[in-house]
Amino acid sequence: MAEIALGVSEKHLPGLAAYRRQIWERRLLHALVLFLVFLIMFPFLWLVIMSFKSDPDILAWPPKLFFKPTLENYTGLWDDEFPRSFLNSVITSVGSTVISMVLGVPGAYALSRAARRGGSNAMSLFILATRMAPPIAFTIPYFLVYRNLGLLDTRLGLIIIYLTINLSLVIWVMRTFFDAIPRSMEEAAWIDGASLWQGFTKIVLPMSGPGLAATAILCFLYAWNDFFFALILTRTDAMTAPVAVVNFLDYQGWQWGKIASGGVMVMLPVLVFSLAVRKFLVHGLTAGAVKG
Amino acid sequence: MRNGCDLTAAASDIALVRGRSKGRSFDRTQRLFYWYCLLPALLVLGVITLLPTIYLILVSLTPLDLTRPNTWWNFSNPTLNYELLLEDRRFHNSMWVQAKLSFWTVLLQLVLGFLFALLLNMRSSLLQALRTVFLIPMVLPPIVVAIIWKVLYTPDISPFYWAFKAFGWSVPALITDPNWALTAIIIADTWEWFPFTMLMILAGLQMMPQEYVDAARIDGASPFQTTLFITLPFLKGVLLVAGLFRLIDSIKAFPLIFILTEGGPGTVTEVTNYYSFVQAFSFSFLGFSSAITVVMVAATLILSWIIIRLVGWGGEDG
Repeated sequence: MAEIALGVSEKHLPGLAAYRRQIWERRLLHALVLFLVFLIMFPFLWLVIMSFKSDPDILAWPPKLFFKPTLENYTGLWDDEFPRSFLNSVITSVGSTVISMVLGVPGAYALSRAARRGGSNAMSLFILATRMAPPIAFTIPYFLVYRNLGLLDTRLGLIIIYLTINLSLVIWVMRTFFDAIPRSMEEAAWIDGASLWQGFTKIVLPMSGPGLAATAILCFLYAWNDFFFALILTRTDAMTAPVAVVNFLDYQGWQWGKIASGGVMVMLPVLVFSLAVRKFLVHGLTAGAVKG
Repeated sequence: MRNGCDLTAAASDIALVRGRSKGRSFDRTQRLFYWYCLLPALLVLGVITLLPTIYLILVSLTPLDLTRPNTWWNFSNPTLNYELLLEDRRFHNSMWVQAKLSFWTVLLQLVLGFLFALLLNMRSSLLQALRTVFLIPMVLPPIVVAIIWKVLYTPDISPFYWAFKAFGWSVPALITDPNWALTAIIIADTWEWFPFTMLMILAGLQMMPQEYVDAARIDGASPFQTTLFITLPFLKGVLLVAGLFRLIDSIKAFPLIFILTEGGPGTVTEVTNYYSFVQAFSFSFLGFSSAITVVMVAATLILSWIIIRLVGWGGEDG
């Protein structure tokens, strides 16, 4: 549109000048936004790019923008211990997600249908407190108890401590989903002769499918992103991927290629899942921050 | 027969039929059912969170040191750790470092979050499409964020240091320089978490009635003035809550410090959380570390309580 306007004298069409200015303002704004996006994304992109560089290219001075991409860092990871710790991460994250969903979803349903205000206030404080407590507060007692129970450096030990974050998260988030489903749904089913349990499993649960999926993903992400618990409570057998990546920062020469590719591997599932639930993520990450 | 829409009434009719002689019986079954649903979750939650908390407090009353077995369950001088804390210079320093870190990160995140939220609140398809991109720093695993900044702060391989050199500026290696190490952490932490404040402020902006801004504009206010005198006061509550959330979270800061500086150089970046970690898992003074942790948990609880009061959480009337 602006191109057409170029041929016309502005004297005759005073509105055009303003219109053109608007267009330019908009272009300027978009340029600014793209620049900011680049600025914000640069640190992240740099790591991704680095993971495809060979070791000499990483250390090259000046840094190479154009280089021959290689997968050697990733294949190097594969030959290392990394796949095992990646598997540990998957098992512990999935394990804690499944257990917290199995325990938490019925609990959330009961709270949604039967809780009085006092109980719900107490629950809020409890959940906020477990979410906000520094991880070391749980790590010290778990470390001491696990030492005696032989749970140090086991996947089961990690799964249990991840429940401390995830179980309260499930109860909190699923409750808001159940609140949104009208009670009359189950009541209709009861009239038709369904039991209480059937009303829950056959009517309410299928209706909250997206909520269940999003909550499960959120649980998975919280467990997956953990570093501190795994750092303290595991050594070798149950070591998770984040700890394994940090171990590449060892004192005999840092293996930058492996650090970068390992980092990318750790963030890959997170990015995929975040994209899948990005609308809900906004709600879940600020869980409780906004009244709901 | 009634016009059959009133399902609740119908349900209680059914309850009457089911309960045969006792009409209350269905209610009772229902209540029992809800308890069965809730009980496993409550029990497990109690065991995995309340018991450890009690254990932590108990340990903080003992001089537990893993290298000396006789310090287990030794309650002969229960307040010793807390008395030591009062005199421990390194602990005081850690709180001061924490205060500086929290102040600057919260402030910068609020300012940046506000500016970005204003930008993203404009009507533009490009901005809509890019909204998700701005969330990336926040959703990345914290350890990956720490690695990203480790790369950027390491002069040998950092593109920034190369650029600085190209411009002829000599910049010290930030994370090993005592004067700059904390600033380096603050920059990385701000990058990681400004999307959080941005999200909350954006949610607040979208609730703001457009009439306020329109009215001010008609009265001849410049965009800058409307932002300063209309938008900002409207967002007061959101800013406060977002700031408090970040404040509590900043007490937990660990991966960045662990990877970038390990609390150093010296104790320049050693926050309370990190100090507690060092006491427990480098020196194995678990009793003393527990006392530090109890102090931190108390601080978090107080801040959480303030948030609940502010947001009016849980109750319908907040």
